[in-house]
Amino acid sequence: MTEKSGVSRRELFQIAGSVPALGAATAGAGLAQTHEKPPAGYQRKVFDEHDWHSVRVLCDLIVPADERSGSATLAGVPEYMDDWLDFRKQEDGNDDLAAQILGGLAWLDLESSRLFKKAFADAGADGQKQILDRIAWPARATPEDRRWAAFFSKFRDLTLNGFYSSKVGIADLPYLGNTAVEEWKGCDPAVWAKLEERMKNGYKGLGGEVKPWG
Amino acid sequence: MAQAKATPKTYDVVVVGSGAGGGVAAHVLSLAGAKVCMLEAGGWYDGTKQSAMFKWPYNAPHRGAGTKEKPFGYFDATLLGGWHVPGEPYTQASGSDWMWWRARMLGGRTNHYGRISLRMGPYDFKPYSRDGRGFDWPITYEELAPYYDKAEELIGVFGSHEGLENTPDGKFLPAPAPRGYERLVKLACDKVNVPCIPSRLAILTRGIHGRPACHYCAQCGRACGINANFNSPGVHIFPAMKTGNLEVLTGAMAREVVVGPDGLARGVSYIDKKTRSEVTVTAKIVVLAASCCETARILLNSKSSQFPNGLANSSGLVGKYLMDTVGSDVDGYLPILEDLPPRNEDGVGGMHMYMPWWHYQDQKAGKMPFARGYHIEFGGGRGLPGADDFSGTERVLGGGYGVELKRNVRRVFGAQVGFTGRGEMIPNADSYCDLDPVTVDQWGIPVLRFHFKWSQDEILQAKHMQDTFKEIITAAGGKYFTDATAENNWGIARGGSIIHEVGAARMGADPKTSVLNSNCQAWDCKNLFVTDAAPFVSNADKNPTLTITALGWRTSEYIAEQVKKRNL
Repeated sequence: MTEKSGVSRRELFQIAGSVPALGAATAGAGLAQTHEKPPAGYQRKVFDEHDWHSVRVLCDLIVPADERSGSATLAGVPEYMDDWLDFRKQEDGNDDLAAQILGGLAWLDLESSRLFKKAFADAGADGQKQILDRIAWPARATPEDRRWAAFFSKFRDLTLNGFYSSKVGIADLPYLGNTAVEEWKGCDPAVWAKLEERMKNGYKGLGGEVKPWG
Repeated sequence: MAQAKATPKTYDVVVVGSGAGGGVAAHVLSLAGAKVCMLEAGGWYDGTKQSAMFKWPYNAPHRGAGTKEKPFGYFDATLLGGWHVPGEPYTQASGSDWMWWRARMLGGRTNHYGRISLRMGPYDFKPYSRDGRGFDWPITYEELAPYYDKAEELIGVFGSHEGLENTPDGKFLPAPAPRGYERLVKLACDKVNVPCIPSRLAILTRGIHGRPACHYCAQCGRACGINANFNSPGVHIFPAMKTGNLEVLTGAMAREVVVGPDGLARGVSYIDKKTRSEVTVTAKIVVLAASCCETARILLNSKSSQFPNGLANSSGLVGKYLMDTVGSDVDGYLPILEDLPPRNEDGVGGMHMYMPWWHYQDQKAGKMPFARGYHIEFGGGRGLPGADDFSGTERVLGGGYGVELKRNVRRVFGAQVGFTGRGEMIPNADSYCDLDPVTVDQWGIPVLRFHFKWSQDEILQAKHMQDTFKEIITAAGGKYFTDATAENNWGIARGGSIIHEVGAARMGADPKTSVLNSNCQAWDCKNLFVTDAAPFVSNADKNPTLTITALGWRTSEYIAEQVKKRNL
């Protein structure tokens, strides 16, 4: 090394040892149990007490706990979202995004009150599902619901961005990098074998069907 | 502002700027025995001590999102810089839209850049002779080739030997094996006859010159904590300082080149940012490498009774024929990549494969609707999730929530592949910078005003990029997403946003039509040289840094020889 460096390559692998190692990560489920605490003493900048409650409920409806990892609130998504809305306001010079989110939360309560005489957060699983099923697939939304579907799309984006960039979400995917690799070997042969098989026979994915490559 | 004072010492050479161009000049000249003083407008930087390698977005403000102050995110190596530098404005002529990137730090942009290291080819030096557009360089590929060799051997570039037209091979380290999605895209390219070959990046796949090999964490943009990628401080400047011949002054904002009554450069006057006082460094030779536009600014601000229009500007061409690179993007989603076993796909900090331009013969035959070409860069896979990386989920899944959404996100993670073109802009008379008649920066230095226009060639090239990327994505069985239309000029990137600005003090064979001669020596001032991208006569699709390094090396060797021959 030319200059006195902060770390040597050898030390690097020791440091990187503190990050989930490649082999361990395939265990998947075990990893994702690393729960992180939401930032202690977070001071809200955008949501009031009532919104805060609604946001926590809605985030967890979008990303609930399952067999692999915890829920959005466990991963600190509401705090992330409050901070992100304030951040965009500073960076973009307007609060359009915050307005859309707050406006959508207000509509959820209005609609829930109209249907069930309860705020959205208190509407129960069936009531909440009834409303969300109208707005969670934009292509299926009625013309009247379209702007609330647009709100929900934005809220879902924020929830997914917050969740999957958190420690909990990164382990859930799982993302296995940001670590020192002793020897780079390129594409895993098992992965390539799968791809070859799909190229040959075609593949039906969530994002569309792939015909055999021929 | 305090009175100007002179440093007591006279140096052999003063170099303005510490990026690729200033770094290579300081390196070659100090190793040749010259006493060199380097001026850097920003602060000290050493990636081996300051890199944010291995840090996680959840430990950064707003998950590491980009801001005006840090456009490439919280962990980006650029500590002070961007398209907006506080206290250092620039202006636009009406109707122009230009973004000027500056990195105020030791090493400049080399700390965070993409490390793409492509040689210009023989055609690229003689574009006017080939298609009658733009201008020819006063040198040939063969003349620069030995310096490409030296540059690659010093900085370390991986690649493969392909023997492709106008895509010269170099002195390569072994290329890293491709990622899964890269192998797949290569097969899709085969179907549509687009060449896809190992990329060429200045990242060490093997240790050289005491620098260790890459450990494949993919975060080169944060600077490398072990100096395994090219960066001017770690590769040029620190080794040069070990000779004892190089002195580096940071916080030194160059204002002008000082000229003596004999019309020769006497040194450089700069503002010491800490004290806001003006200092003059005296030297026998001045090398400007402040970055293309900043170099033009210094020359235009170097006004004297002998040079009322600025120094080296008798041709009136300082600031003229400014170029950036043509860029246009398409996002792809490849379902075939869904639901594969989890794996680490990081690799080096950049692509392992790319597509060099492939239509040279069609262009020669007059079959293409635009002049000049582009190469394709692409990236995807299971990368480090940061701020805003999952906003594209809905367009793939259509919507949803709950446990099923979570399951689906896991399946689609890593199946997106984005394509971007990097193409040649032909220099035009409407694209240039001059001094704003009113505005100054906080150091009292008149600032640049930008004038910029794309021509139809660039816009049609952007359309061709869009068509090609869609074709490749479709050949891979995928879906494409793009906002590009004829109305927005096929999504062509804003001028300056690709950060490949070159030209503005071009070299040439005739003092009437160029600022510098074939050795990047000012026609009007023989002890003044330029080693950044300002001498570029054209802007081939090959990213500028490797050519800056090779050309700067050649210029520095010329300086050393002329000193030896007592011509300077």
